[in-house]
Amino acid sequence: SLDVPFPSSREAAIALNSLSPDREPRKGGISKQLTVSGSTRWSADEARILRVSVNSFLDHLSLVMETMQMFGPPVSQ
Amino acid sequence: MTVVIGFEGSANKIGIGIIRDGEVLSNPRRTYITPPGQGFMPSDTARHHRAVILTVLKEALEQAGLKPADIDCVAYTKGPGMGAPLVTVALVARTVSQLWGKPLLGVNHCIGHIEMGRLITKANNPTVLYVSGGNTQVIAYSERRYRIFGETIDIAVGNCLDRFARVIKISNDPSPGYNIEQMAKKGSQYVELPYTVKGMDVSFSGILSYIEEAAHKMLSSGQCTAEDLCFSLQETVFSMLVEITERAMAHCGSQEVLIVGGVGCNLRLQEMMGVMCKERGAKLFATDERFCIDNGAMIAQAGWEMFRSGQVTELEDSWITQRYRTDEVQVTWRD
Repeated sequence: SLDVPFPSSREAAIALNSLSPDREPRKGGISKQLTVSGSTRWSADEARILRVSVNSFLDHLSLVMETMQMFGPPVSQ
Repeated sequence: MTVVIGFEGSANKIGIGIIRDGEVLSNPRRTYITPPGQGFMPSDTARHHRAVILTVLKEALEQAGLKPADIDCVAYTKGPGMGAPLVTVALVARTVSQLWGKPLLGVNHCIGHIEMGRLITKANNPTVLYVSGGNTQVIAYSERRYRIFGETIDIAVGNCLDRFARVIKISNDPSPGYNIEQMAKKGSQYVELPYTVKGMDVSFSGILSYIEEAAHKMLSSGQCTAEDLCFSLQETVFSMLVEITERAMAHCGSQEVLIVGGVGCNLRLQEMMGVMCKERGAKLFATDERFCIDNGAMIAQAGWEMFRSGQVTELEDSWITQRYRTDEVQVTWRD
């Protein structure tokens, strides 16, 4: 599992919404749960599949965070 | 006034464009160019898009002279295309849509090409030939769908050209198709190739295998030049495309042809299609490389039409898809 700190729960929710819609490309053997106030948890059948999933998650997360830094902060709702 | 920003990155181009009621305010683009003999792989292409997307977004806003608050809707390519590049672009679109508090809209890439072509050329109800590196379709509008009348049964015409370019190590800069077009002008000898029209459909994979083998044999023995092969390949595949387009026009009683997609900026294809149109008393519409080749404005334009007709995409439905047929989309913005 993995914890990612954000400035506020609003930003954490935006990241969650951006990262959640796409399913794992692989049909089985891996699952991932994202939450705003907790850790991101993986379960995988093989270490190889887990590595790929975690790697691409971190790539995606860093893109979302960089986008928030450059084009944020979020407008007030 | 409705302002839509469009994000496109389904293949090796990353583009972000802004459209305000039919006016293109900005449309910057970057292309991932691989060395001669190599194609673009999904993960490398995604890495390229990842590296430049935020710079391109900044450019799009600056060139348009707009602030995020001026934008009404964020459109992005939902599919079809390569998975990894699509996700990269969708991530940024989803994030800015939330940061700016603007609705999100997933657009079918093919519909983007069609609507951009219609906007630029003012073609009203054309038979559309959509030809690119990933798609080859003859399309006509009927009853709220863009219906596919004919298509490739294997690889796209642009893929056939690109892969031929790889075999004889033609440069991918600015694009393999452009370089084949220039070389074809110097070809003088026509090498006969298989001609594979199957009813309304076409096939290119057999032509590719045939010319790959012919290239090795004929070039080493000096029977023909690389220029001759470029010329022969273009003449053959473009004739096939003109034939199926004409058949679709006859079927629909259409007097307009619109060519869209990356291969659509090939002037030889436009010339051959023009001859056919003249014989039928029909009109040909085509655009140049700015709008034919994948770009952000085309996604913004299709998004503009969709948004104005009341469509939006909820975040949880904003997943990307590698397969997304043109006729899956309900066309809510046309009669």
